[in-house]
Amino acid sequence: MSSGGGAGLYLHVPFCSAVCPYCDFAVVPADASRSARYVQALLTELELLGEEELSFDTIYFGGGTPSALSRADLESILAAARRSLAVEDDAWLALEANPEDVDAAALEGWRGLGVNMLSLGVQSFQAEELRFLGRRHSAAEGERAVREALTAGFDIVSVDLIFGLPGQEPENLRDSIRRLAGLDPQHVSCYQLTVHEGTPFHRRRQQGRLLELGESRQGELFELVHSELEAAGYSAYEVSNFAKTEDARSLHNQKYWDHSSYLGAGLAAHSFSGRRRWWNEPDLERYCSRLERGERPLAGGEELDSSELALEAVMLGLRRSRGLDLDRLRADYGLNLLERNAAIIESYVEDGLAVVDGRLRLTPRGLAVADAVVRSLDLDPA
Amino acid sequence: MEHIRNFCIIAHIDHGKSTLADRLIQACGAVDDRKFRDQILDSMDIERERGITIKSNTVTLEYTATDGEVYQLNLIDTPGHVDFSHEVRRSLMSCEGALLLVDASQGVEAQTVANLYLAMEYELELVPVINKIDLPAADIDRVSEEIDADLGLDPFEAIQCSAKNNIGIDGVLEAIVERLPPPGGDPEAPLKALVFDAQYDKYRGVVMLVRVQDGVIRKGQSIRLMYTEADHVVEEVGYLKLEKVATGTLETGSVGYVIAGIKTIQDINIGDTMTETERPAQEPIPGYREAKPVVYSSIYPMSSEDYGDLTKALDKLKLNDAALTFTKVSSAALGFGFRCGFLGLLHLDIVQERLEREFGMSLLLSAPTVQYDVTLTNGEEVVVDNPSFFPDAGDVERVEEPYIKASIMIPEKFLGAVMELCREQRGEKTQFDYLAVGRVEVTSEMPLAEVLFDFYDRLKTVTRGYGSFDYEALDYRATDIVKVDIMVNKERVDALSQLVHREKARSRAMHYCDKLSSTIPKHQFKIPIQGTIGGTIIARKTINAFRKDVTAKCYGGDITRKRKLLEKQKKGKQKMKMVGSVEIPQEAFIAVLKTEKEK
Repeated sequence: MSSGGGAGLYLHVPFCSAVCPYCDFAVVPADASRSARYVQALLTELELLGEEELSFDTIYFGGGTPSALSRADLESILAAARRSLAVEDDAWLALEANPEDVDAAALEGWRGLGVNMLSLGVQSFQAEELRFLGRRHSAAEGERAVREALTAGFDIVSVDLIFGLPGQEPENLRDSIRRLAGLDPQHVSCYQLTVHEGTPFHRRRQQGRLLELGESRQGELFELVHSELEAAGYSAYEVSNFAKTEDARSLHNQKYWDHSSYLGAGLAAHSFSGRRRWWNEPDLERYCSRLERGERPLAGGEELDSSELALEAVMLGLRRSRGLDLDRLRADYGLNLLERNAAIIESYVEDGLAVVDGRLRLTPRGLAVADAVVRSLDLDPA
Repeated sequence: MEHIRNFCIIAHIDHGKSTLADRLIQACGAVDDRKFRDQILDSMDIERERGITIKSNTVTLEYTATDGEVYQLNLIDTPGHVDFSHEVRRSLMSCEGALLLVDASQGVEAQTVANLYLAMEYELELVPVINKIDLPAADIDRVSEEIDADLGLDPFEAIQCSAKNNIGIDGVLEAIVERLPPPGGDPEAPLKALVFDAQYDKYRGVVMLVRVQDGVIRKGQSIRLMYTEADHVVEEVGYLKLEKVATGTLETGSVGYVIAGIKTIQDINIGDTMTETERPAQEPIPGYREAKPVVYSSIYPMSSEDYGDLTKALDKLKLNDAALTFTKVSSAALGFGFRCGFLGLLHLDIVQERLEREFGMSLLLSAPTVQYDVTLTNGEEVVVDNPSFFPDAGDVERVEEPYIKASIMIPEKFLGAVMELCREQRGEKTQFDYLAVGRVEVTSEMPLAEVLFDFYDRLKTVTRGYGSFDYEALDYRATDIVKVDIMVNKERVDALSQLVHREKARSRAMHYCDKLSSTIPKHQFKIPIQGTIGGTIIARKTINAFRKDVTAKCYGGDITRKRKLLEKQKKGKQKMKMVGSVEIPQEAFIAVLKTEKEK
């Protein structure tokens, strides 16, 4: 397996059997003919990427629900990627799957494709919470999927949880985490429920039919997630991501957080290289028809200037447990963060929000308010 | 000279002064009906809207009396408010008589009495006029009694009218001619004229309003301003008949304007005596007083980029407002601004409103302060009008603060509440007199600083709007003043420091802490908000830290979006005032500083 120095390739599969009411990713309800047309378009897009000079050592199938695609479709997409791009032979491969799609045959197929990390959208082990989230699997099904995935022998099985549901009791969250820990997957992603504009939850909130948890309860739950997982032997390597060992971290996702290059193919996928970020058409019909005309489906892009890069470096670096590389920040952007923000950083250290040891690292309590910390820092180079 | 009458109208606010002036002007045909508008002498929008007069104005009317003779009536319109009493005094000095206007339903009010005393000081002949006699609530008998009892004037000599409905206006005009004396003065003597006000004209410069006592003013003549000790040549001289009418000369006893190539209001002193350079008068007209600010406040632009605009706006206001003073200050929290001196709260209010309306500024004003006389332990004496410069408590031997004599007129049933209010405002020698059946005048000596804080509004509340209030300056008296600092996260917010009497320090500090703690948003750390005196904490509130402020997901596509969100939030932060690492929104300053005036 690769050491992780190359670029990452993201492949988006936008179909879901039903769209969850909180989801704001580029997703559409699954439909056989639409799906066939999309796969064809994605294959065309990969062919058009032939001139890309990057060399890839990770591939990530995200969604949507990649597990909704057949093994044959997944295989032909991977083959197309390998044909037109420089993908290392032992590239690390991840795939997102929903518990209801997990069975022996599917697991066997994914193993056969060379999937290293199988990421399961379990979200909760509480029946009520799963119903609220509009998930289509039961708590028992979730457990079964994790257990079978672990038995199937993937390097990493990752389980997604969502916390911060309206009215969520700490007890329920603790129960979910303990049940998860009992299953002993190598990796956990634990996200706070966010109500995004344009989602059914957002409309419900506007109508007063969804009461979000208060910020202080959210903080309590965030700290609970960190302490429970810590106690179960997981260490946080990012605000929302936990792994049993260093090898169990998501090699692909880490590229997003240190300005490594990545290329996204598929609906609304984002790419980044050097100082440039660009993204694809988010409308399924337009995405397909442009590719059918042999056009690349680009929707927009930006060239980041140093101050934007510096802001991203700080905001992404502070989300990670290893923290911010202060020397690199100075070398890359001429920004002496400690000197410019001496008083406030000192107060963060005093309050137990941060640690300075050559790098600037946030403690779990600091991670909980990472956005506010970034806002408070003066990032203008001297 | 026998055919000149110089007069003013003395009235409490809302008793109909401007309306009566309007009717007199119309009755003398000084203005075309088509061009007429209400409150014609009040040229500023703010005067018209609030129904108050801020700047003096004057109009020369020609009136053909029933005796067949044509008289020149000079109506000098004066501000009625105590803040402008220096202007009132100068206007009174230019008159031989005054109409004392009383509302037929409201009766005699505190301001009426105060202005009456002023008029008597200048030995003016007084004609009481009862206005609004056609109101259903008019009670002419009661008002007549008050004129007798409160003012000591003969109610049978009072003229009854309704300026609004043009009733009895002829009677008023006849009384002006018959009962007010013509001016005296010696036409042959050296020129002696009182500069009782001035206006700024952007094309002509300063237009002085003058009353000629002795001698004559002529175009081309070299004149001397005696206090200013400056000579000028008269470019134009004439009467103000709503518009300037140049006449070439201004005779003894008359009132008019003089333009003499003077560029700014700062180049003259209102109240100065104008004489002739060739043959100067021996003595100036007595009674000159400089208008001195008594209330100070720092004005900051909401947004620091607007500092330049504020500078220009104040410079412009100053052209026409000699009493306004300002010097540059800077606050760590609010940036650059000006420490301004005002004649009183109304003056402050007017300046603020004009800056906001005429110049579109959005402003923050610090709590108004009076001037304190401080004697230091080393014997040195300093005057402090800005909390930032208040010496350390250890260096202060003694502090004196200005006192006023408040005169409050109220219906009897509010007596208890008003006496209590005076006590709370540190009133001393509080007394009351029955002026008439059911009407009481309460007088009390109290610190001016107390009046600044919330006295007006509390008086209005306890008397349900029936109380009227006026004051005159007394002396400076010893007091126990402390400087209260407001600390946010242990950093002093300089713009919120204030000088307060020790007894009131804690409640004032608590009020600030409450307001700030409810308007400063939570931060990622706990924020103590404290009121302190010399480092000792006397009030405290805490804003708890928030525990969660981070978006969960940060994958490929989300990075641009998230960065843009952070950039936007960081930009929003620039509009906040930073005190240490705490972001204080402007609303917090507004909440704290506004309530002070409006509470």
